[in-house]
Amino acid sequence: MIQRLYVHNFRCLENFELSLKGMSSSLLIGKNGAGKSTVGYALEVLKRVARGTNRVGQLVQSKDFARGRSDVPIRFELEVLLDGRLYKYVIAFELPENFKELRVFEEQFLVDGKQIYSRKEAQVILYTTNSRNREAQFLLDWHLVALPMIQSQSETDPLSLFRSWLARMMILAPIPKSMTGDSKGETLEPMPDGSNFGEWFSGLLSRYPAAYTQVDKYLRGIMPDIQDFVNEPIGKDSKSMVVRFEKNNANLSVDFEDLSDGEKCFFLCAIVLAANKYYGPLFCFWDEPDNYLSLSEVGHFVMSLRRSFKDAGQFLATSHNEEAIRKFSNENTLVLYRKSHLEPTLVRLLSELTIEGDLINALILGDIEP
Amino acid sequence: MNKYRPHILVLPEDDADRELANGFVLELNSRNIQVLPPVGGWKKVLDDFDKKCVSGMRNYPLRRIVLLMDFDDRINRLSEIESQIPDDLKERVYVLGVLSEPEKLRSDINKSFEEIGEALANDCFNNTNKLWGHDLLKHNKANLERICLLKDEWFGETDE
Repeated sequence: MIQRLYVHNFRCLENFELSLKGMSSSLLIGKNGAGKSTVGYALEVLKRVARGTNRVGQLVQSKDFARGRSDVPIRFELEVLLDGRLYKYVIAFELPENFKELRVFEEQFLVDGKQIYSRKEAQVILYTTNSRNREAQFLLDWHLVALPMIQSQSETDPLSLFRSWLARMMILAPIPKSMTGDSKGETLEPMPDGSNFGEWFSGLLSRYPAAYTQVDKYLRGIMPDIQDFVNEPIGKDSKSMVVRFEKNNANLSVDFEDLSDGEKCFFLCAIVLAANKYYGPLFCFWDEPDNYLSLSEVGHFVMSLRRSFKDAGQFLATSHNEEAIRKFSNENTLVLYRKSHLEPTLVRLLSELTIEGDLINALILGDIEP
Repeated sequence: MNKYRPHILVLPEDDADRELANGFVLELNSRNIQVLPPVGGWKKVLDDFDKKCVSGMRNYPLRRIVLLMDFDDRINRLSEIESQIPDDLKERVYVLGVLSEPEKLRSDINKSFEEIGEALANDCFNNTNKLWGHDLLKHNKANLERICLLKDEWFGETDE
């Protein structure tokens, strides 16, 4: 899973290094504007590359330069451990003078320290481990990212494995009002706001029908009166999810769209847990998973996620909620801090800081500074 | 957590005990256990228990509570605490803790509090005594034996 994320000159992240080595789940805390969500945006850029967005202008814009500093490249570096192999992907974007759109400045992909391809502006070099083949060099439009465009040799090709893992990252900041439960297709690639929840749910159950049992069991723990949930056809190629409840021989059908915000989040959580189990190990970033939940559910919700990713996959959350924060420990809580909007985000492990008294009190008082 | 079904509350003395409890709960896969906010001191555990938990325990007969505290090297603290638990609730209250303090146990075995909690949970479910037999924990034997009888409750409703 993610060992290291390095981001430079992207919004408030300057020379920013997030080390998640050995952490199956971790939490980002810090004041508003400290940069917690920006970590998610940085991961989102990389995820979108793997999902096929290769036009640089659709990934980063000039406003993304930290404090407008466009003479320094925006850089992302991601190191990931998958099946014992260390994958490293580096991409940097720059905006030369008189350019309207950013271009690729540098791009690299390495496995266990060995280069698979490297790139400087338009010049791409594909390396080979086969002695009969020579390196291949070609030019690529510098406004296009190479990662989604290079043909992999097979599904077990390191490039294919990494791209697939990166594309399936779950970067979530759900907006329940956008989660309608309607679907016109299937996917295993959720959108951050949950707006393609219906497609994701259909994709999961279509590929992994046994996931239904797990989703059902999780939801039944929270909503004991749930009977089942079905995807009703509402047109030639469209379906809409309906949730049915039963209690004392009385039944009620509710369109998914009409569930409460919190209930929609329970469904989302159920799918995250099932996805990690059935087509994981996956990485999940959830921006404030406690949003929309009652206090009695926050702890169970967070612990379910932490538990699910304990043995496989990786979970990274942000939170301001004291009940959520208490479900983590000093060794897996990272504090993000920024002195002002003109200064970059700093990050420290909570265990490296001296906290006087209760952590929550210190957070309320704003006393936690790296 | 369904308060009309068997459930367990954990009242930790401080953040170290809270992290230890989190580690334990991570191994359980259950919605029947809830770790409450730490209270900050063993006397406050008793105060909070008395003021905030006693009436709830009487209202909900299937509620049990673990008081997780440090003994600060005073073994007689256990009997002192147990003597302050109302007789009608004694059967549903469990007092557990490190003989000195969790920080000492952490440095002794070189594990984080969460890892210690996980190891203690695994001991319970595997019927082993690897960590519970540690010098700083073995005084919990009587309460541990009672608590291990609750395995079905720990495992009650699961997430998966």
